[in-house]
Amino acid sequence: MGNKQTIFTPEQLDAYQDCTFFTRKEILRLFYRYRDLAPQLVPLDYSDKPDVMLPYELISSMPELKDNPFRQRIAEVFSEDGEGNMTLDDFLDMFSVLSEMAPRDLKAYYAFKIYDFNNDDYICKSDLEKTVNKLTRHELTPEEVSLVCEKVIEEADLDNDGKLSLEDFQHMIVRAPDFLSTFHIRI
Amino acid sequence: MDRHWEEETGSKWAAGTWGHQPPSALFHQLPSNATLRFRGDKALAWGAVLGEWAPQGIPQAWGSEGSKEEVAADMETIALQQLPLCMAEKRRHRLQAQKQAGQHTRWQQWQAGQQRLRRKVGSILLHTQLWRSSLTCIEGHFGTGIEAYFNFLRFLVLLNLVGALLIGGFVVAPSITFEALRLNQTERANLTANSPCMGYDPNPRGLVSYFTYVMDLLSGTGFMELTYLFYGYYQNSVVDVVGFSYNISLAYLLAVLCYFLLCLAWIVHRSVHLLKRGLVSEDGALSTYSIKVFAGWDFGLTQPPAAIWKHNSIRYELKLDLEEEASRRAMAQRSPAQRAWLYTLRSLINLLVVALLGVAFYCIYLATEYSQSTLSQQSVAQSKSKAFWELLVSYLPSIVITGANLVVPMAFGVLVRLEQYPFSQEIKLTLVRSVFLRLASLVVLLVSLWMQITCHGQTEAFDCRTCGYNHRHFPCWETRVGQEMYKLLVFDLLTMLLVTLLVEFPRKILVSHGPALLARLWGQQEFLVPANVLDLVYGQTVCWVGASFCPLLPLLNTLKYILLFYLKKLTLFSNCRPGDRTFRASSSNFFFLLVLLLGLAISWVPALYSIFALPPSQACGPFRAEPSMWNAALLAIDGLPELARGFFYFVGSLGFIVPLLLLLCIFLFYLMALADSYSRLVKELKMQLQLEGRDKVFLVNQITELS
Repeated sequence: MGNKQTIFTPEQLDAYQDCTFFTRKEILRLFYRYRDLAPQLVPLDYSDKPDVMLPYELISSMPELKDNPFRQRIAEVFSEDGEGNMTLDDFLDMFSVLSEMAPRDLKAYYAFKIYDFNNDDYICKSDLEKTVNKLTRHELTPEEVSLVCEKVIEEADLDNDGKLSLEDFQHMIVRAPDFLSTFHIRI
Repeated sequence: MDRHWEEETGSKWAAGTWGHQPPSALFHQLPSNATLRFRGDKALAWGAVLGEWAPQGIPQAWGSEGSKEEVAADMETIALQQLPLCMAEKRRHRLQAQKQAGQHTRWQQWQAGQQRLRRKVGSILLHTQLWRSSLTCIEGHFGTGIEAYFNFLRFLVLLNLVGALLIGGFVVAPSITFEALRLNQTERANLTANSPCMGYDPNPRGLVSYFTYVMDLLSGTGFMELTYLFYGYYQNSVVDVVGFSYNISLAYLLAVLCYFLLCLAWIVHRSVHLLKRGLVSEDGALSTYSIKVFAGWDFGLTQPPAAIWKHNSIRYELKLDLEEEASRRAMAQRSPAQRAWLYTLRSLINLLVVALLGVAFYCIYLATEYSQSTLSQQSVAQSKSKAFWELLVSYLPSIVITGANLVVPMAFGVLVRLEQYPFSQEIKLTLVRSVFLRLASLVVLLVSLWMQITCHGQTEAFDCRTCGYNHRHFPCWETRVGQEMYKLLVFDLLTMLLVTLLVEFPRKILVSHGPALLARLWGQQEFLVPANVLDLVYGQTVCWVGASFCPLLPLLNTLKYILLFYLKKLTLFSNCRPGDRTFRASSSNFFFLLVLLLGLAISWVPALYSIFALPPSQACGPFRAEPSMWNAALLAIDGLPELARGFFYFVGSLGFIVPLLLLLCIFLFYLMALADSYSRLVKELKMQLQLEGRDKVFLVNQITELS
């Protein structure tokens, strides 16, 4: 049963087990999911660490991500090149953070990066407007969107600088007990 | 140190996002700004910072300060998976840790091994939960709110199963084995066979026709009464076999008490676990918008229709919140005359609500009295129609309770709109009133039964003088109470089956294949979580009340809830659409458990009252010769050695209980004071944080100006 796989060396599998929240079986299952996206690009032998990167279009066609309004940001945050093209390492990392065993602080850290559209370490009003528009598919009027963004900053901005830093975000997430169950993808 | 980074990222500041002035370059050098690092080659990766220098590279969010050695030790104790590094950095860190692991003491290696084992066991336990795949599927299609209902149902199934095993193992199984093995059962006391209290004979007389069997099955009388299902069948006996003595009556008493304690402990444990997550905020209203925006999208949704529903529901909720805000502002500007009129209107409506409840309770009381007095006049049904009529009469209390619980909440829904509360408060108020109606109707049923059994509480009344209870109408009153609970359970299940088959499925067929006007007006069924949860809590309360008189009731309830799970899942996927408003899972989980605890508290009262205060029937049951059920325990205590007996008497005396109660009160007041001071501390710290932020901006601007 156990040791017949030839995709990874035992050291690689151990490293993956320690660095993610997945068991051996789940890591292999995720590898096959990754390979199913592009069987001709992904080799069946990872023991020599091939440098394979799947383009963003393939990643965003996965059923778990297809309908997510933030799929582009998720892919960008977890990819090495910042453009959404993911290696197997990035793929495993992404689903590990989004699994149900990841702790709240880790999820909050990555959620902050996902919502930070302009990558400036702060969630400013324009980031918020983009978030709200993605959530409601542009069906709210601009005044309503602006009102909502103002309310969010009013509620969460503790150090009063007009935008949300990571600390503000984490303080706010502590008061959102649903966060652990909504920021979770089952795969 | 950070200079090359600041040059790269300085240009990224969008103008106007920071108050009045663009930030000075000095801000990039502050330690609190160094909390995030980009991945990739743009800026320094975490691992590099850790490897080379300074504690400033570590984000404050992970709270480590201090020297480099302490920091490195801290990072090791945090599990590798929880570090926000990219995979390459985690692997490097792991190699480093492995090199150092060789230098670790055996204690630390053992600790690391234990941690890994604990993680594995935790993940195994997570995977072997009952119905895990079904819940995943439901969550993917309908979201976490509806999944909370099925989670609650699964918890109730497990609770009932364990309770059934407890009572079955200690009461039912021994009785069955002793009877099967034909062991010598010594009766506990001599009973005068000719006393008028002993007139109890549930055996069916004469020819028993087929439909009588069906009626008996449905109402728990006749042949059903002479089974292990009901209290009346158990013997008041002690079995002595080869030095092993088993006292059935004591076992019955202790099993029932332990069952209640087990349920209490399990529910409290689960609600404390949920409370930690659900009530962390002192004031949930403080962050409604931010929570809806940042934790609103359910990342687990995988179906396009579900995703569209989620978009619509988030938009609907945000719009609703903005409207509520606008209307709240309008309400605050009302004139005193308008306010006075509103308050009189609200008090009138509350009186109307109380009147409605009173009418409903009176109907239940009348129905119970009529049903019980008709049933007490036993006669063998000779014709089908008479048997059917008898069945209807015996189910009359259940029918009236179910009818009241269908009609009155609709009236509540109409009335609450006249009261002009904000929308979220409307929902809460209706829910509180419905909970009260559900549980109080059960209480009314029990009270009317009690009044009949004890002749309205007067032990000197004509009927109750000889035996202490109404022996002519209730020769075996515990079995009768058990039968009522059994009937409530059966009727509840039948109602749910009928509603699903005759209302929900036709509605779906009509709406999807009928005229479009109907589809627009009526719409598809929405799965209403609060109403369904109230049904579950009601069913569980009935089971608890009946458990002391009908030992197999928890087992029946388990089967009922398993059937209900599959039924509700079927109707959810075939007939329902997700609701317009997202049901907030976390706070409602705690609310469900709170209502369940309320039901448990209500069910304790009849159980304890019948154990301590009511005289048990003399014609049937395991307590037939005792003056009260608790007497069996007292006799057992008397049989214990001197020290144990003294201990029990002391624990039961006033000298122990009164100081204990006083101590608990003092502890309660202390905890309340502590909670109050913590919330005040939090408010002060928040204000301090704002001041610090302003100080920081001021100081940095001053430094920039001076330099």
